[in-house]
Amino acid sequence: MNEYRFAEIELGLEASFSRTITSEMMTQFLALSGDCNPLHIDSSYAQEKGFEDRVVYGLLSSTFYSTLVGVYLPGKYCILQGIDIQFSKPVFVGDQLSIQGKVSYINEAYQQVEIKAFITNQAGIKVSKAKIKVGVIDD
Amino acid sequence: MTREEIFNGVQEIFRDIFDEDDLVIEDSTNSDTIEDWDSLNHINLVSAIEKEFKIRFALGELQELKDVGAMIDLMLTKINS
Repeated sequence: MNEYRFAEIELGLEASFSRTITSEMMTQFLALSGDCNPLHIDSSYAQEKGFEDRVVYGLLSSTFYSTLVGVYLPGKYCILQGIDIQFSKPVFVGDQLSIQGKVSYINEAYQQVEIKAFITNQAGIKVSKAKIKVGVIDD
Repeated sequence: MTREEIFNGVQEIFRDIFDEDDLVIEDSTNSDTIEDWDSLNHINLVSAIEKEFKIRFALGELQELKDVGAMIDLMLTKINS
């Protein structure tokens, strides 16, 4: 886990990591959220609607934005204060996701950092993007 | 930049942050007069103002502000200095 303190954070600071979506993740997210929409649990239904397979929950793949700030940028001293996510392409089980973030703004007075982040799949296609606001509680 | 121009720009920021298209602020507006003006939205306001007007605030300056009018006056000084 990274442990960036506020004084160490500068514009352009980056972090990234990768995760692969598994069917077990989908099962666990279903149990956690109770979201039983067939688009996420029924491949035949999803294909009828024009998707190649059942669609991964948007908030499942977006949990990695939490990991990005809580573990990598800034890491230990992070407190998530806001996140604005846009989903541009579907994610499917087996997709290998790359999660990347870069510091885009620093509020010196209140020690808040804004991070522009995005997730791409194994083909390099951007599946979502996010603007994330985090506080840095390092004192 | 005139005080009125700054005021109008700040009003648009308030409308965006508090998600109220018809929100009207006055010099006397403060965190007691807008229900959703909590600590996080306060940070969001300051960040939005800093970015829009390309200025920076110090924590000490912000702590002395009692209402929108005081903020506008501080901004006027920073922008035109």
